Amino acid sequence: MTAGRSGTGPVIHSGRTTPRLMAHAVVALGPVVLASIWRFGAAAVVLIGVAVVVAMLCDAACDRRNATDGSAVVIGTIVACLMPVTAPWWLAAAGSAIAVVLGKHAIGGLGRNLFNPAALARVVLMGLAPAAFFSPLWTIDGRTAATPLAKELGASPVPVVDLLLGTGSVTLGDAMPVAVLVGGLALIALRTIDWQVPLCYLGAISLLALVLPPGERIVGHAPWLAGNPMAHLLSGSTLFCAFFMLTDPVTAPFTRPGRLVFCALAAVYTMVVRYYTPYPDGVAFAVLLANATVPFIDRKTIWVPVDRGASDELPAVDRQHLAGDEGGEG
Amino acid sequence: MKIPGHKHCADSPIQRLPPPARVRLPIDEMRAAIDIGARVEAGAVVARSAPDAEWQRRAHSPLTGRIVAIGEAAGGEGLKREIVIEGKAPAETSVRRHLDAASLGVDQILTCARDAGVVGMSGARFPTHVKLRPSVPIDCVIVNASESEPFITCDHRVLTEHRHEVECGMHLAMRAVGAARGEIATGRHGHPFGQERFVIAEVLGRDVPEGRLPKDVGVVVINVQTARALHHAVCDREPLLARVITVDGSAVASPGNYTVPIGTEVGHVLTQCGVRLDEAAALIVGGPMMGTPAGLETPIGPGTGGVLALGREQISDLVDRPCVRCGECMDACPFGLPVGLLLEEPSEALLQCIECGVCQFACAAQRPLIDSIRSAKAGLHAGRC
Repeated sequence: MTAGRSGTGPVIHSGRTTPRLMAHAVVALGPVVLASIWRFGAAAVVLIGVAVVVAMLCDAACDRRNATDGSAVVIGTIVACLMPVTAPWWLAAAGSAIAVVLGKHAIGGLGRNLFNPAALARVVLMGLAPAAFFSPLWTIDGRTAATPLAKELGASPVPVVDLLLGTGSVTLGDAMPVAVLVGGLALIALRTIDWQVPLCYLGAISLLALVLPPGERIVGHAPWLAGNPMAHLLSGSTLFCAFFMLTDPVTAPFTRPGRLVFCALAAVYTMVVRYYTPYPDGVAFAVLLANATVPFIDRKTIWVPVDRGASDELPAVDRQHLAGDEGGEG
Repeated sequence: MKIPGHKHCADSPIQRLPPPARVRLPIDEMRAAIDIGARVEAGAVVARSAPDAEWQRRAHSPLTGRIVAIGEAAGGEGLKREIVIEGKAPAETSVRRHLDAASLGVDQILTCARDAGVVGMSGARFPTHVKLRPSVPIDCVIVNASESEPFITCDHRVLTEHRHEVECGMHLAMRAVGAARGEIATGRHGHPFGQERFVIAEVLGRDVPEGRLPKDVGVVVINVQTARALHHAVCDREPLLARVITVDGSAVASPGNYTVPIGTEVGHVLTQCGVRLDEAAALIVGGPMMGTPAGLETPIGPGTGGVLALGREQISDLVDRPCVRCGECMDACPFGLPVGLLLEEPSEALLQCIECGVCQFACAAQRPLIDSIRSAKAGLHAGRC
């Protein structure tokens, strides 16, 4: 009968628990995974499967106690979603291992990692195996395609419908941006994420695409990308980042205002990479750089309401009496 | 974050529970006025404060019978000592004396309240006659009827069914403190906004500084059932012998609002309300947010608002996962305290916390935040001295 609850405090709970939130994330990733399998077939199944299994094994090896909260499944899936479909299976395995072991546990465990584990894995792998990420020409099923953001190629604009359906994208998570949108809206509907976070990021991306003066590279090679917000919203991992990466509470600032600053900053980093560097996408860089700013944003935005002064005038004994004898509802 | 109300019993009329054959009367620091084995009549004083005590209290026997024990209490509501009485409850009085209170002076009202043992009935159990003799000017008495704890509906029922008595009690309190204004606050903003500081802010727009009392901003707040007890004490010269509680939870066959003698054991309440003990995952006296775990012998004190026998599906386990910095604790906290972060580096800001429990309710990691807050506060107090 009287349960094994040694503590006091409330016995009821909102039901929004870590495993529940992780389950929501897995469900919301469902459409993204299905879309990538529909487009890429067996290659996607292998990459996602390997990434998830390796993430779960690494998580269990590092911390058995919390290995059942579902976060490993989420990390593994996101790692795979950031992979190009042409990546070999071992790259997905390495990505998951880097994300979980280095990105999550080595740095302190769930809740204490400064950097988004999947973004970290992607950036590390981009450095170690650039060839797997940066070929402007991809050969898929014998057909040659170019990512819309590939700067050496995209000579002519891609229609919005093609962008929404992801025609030409090579990254698993971008296989069909409309699927990302469906999953992301599901997260908002489930109240798992704040709608302000993706809106702020996507809004800032659109604004920056319009106002930033494009760099020479982009002007020379893909003029249609400059000043074209729709192209930037719907290509690359922009949407995926907005709904599935910037919304990770662990690596985002603690307060709502802080999170908006964080998103705006991530948008600036994304657009700087896209407009002024040779990298086509820049989303993973942007997430990492924004993560690095979180402690600073937290220091500036966490407003701790101050003790309103009266306490020091009363001795501790009186305070206890006040708490014990006159509290309550009258 | 809105705490769900679960006010299933809001429309259940108050019923009289078949009285128990034994009560455990919490007497705190009072001295027993009668010996073990002695016979007592219902309504007789069985314990009183020492004559030189600052706050005079009285405890009355709700049963006609025999004192069987005087000693340490079983727990619950922080009760220290108790008197165990076995006997029979008197039949419910149908004829009341209805004295005319209009002619009574302030001192007579306060003496009646003291002799009847009227105390704060929202959990605080502070002697009402002391509260009604504030050393500062008071311009408003608020009867707090905004019981915000989930499940608990006893004050709502008392106000609905006995509004006249509650209003009479309020007017007596206004006369006692010399206040021209009286308000019955029925705010429905959910837990913790029935706490008196929030009610004062809502009704009067006054802010009670942390560490201060309502009287410091010219207000006295009394509970609905305290007001009613004050009415009975003054107009009927009846001591405080019983109160209305809410009994609810999915393990309760007959949930409702019941009048029970003070000192009734939780076990008796549960038996009478048909509780399936094997289905009760948690037994709580008070509300599910700020109440305390109870045993079968835990007595219903003057400040106990309810007995909850909650089923497995109604409660949550404290799993104590790592904080994921979701910020829900800060969003939920009525003071906007970033609780999760403050527990990593305890600061004086934590001393504002009223332990309402909404942060723990909201915590995605299901951490025992209230326990941690209490330890952190104790550490801060120790650091100060």
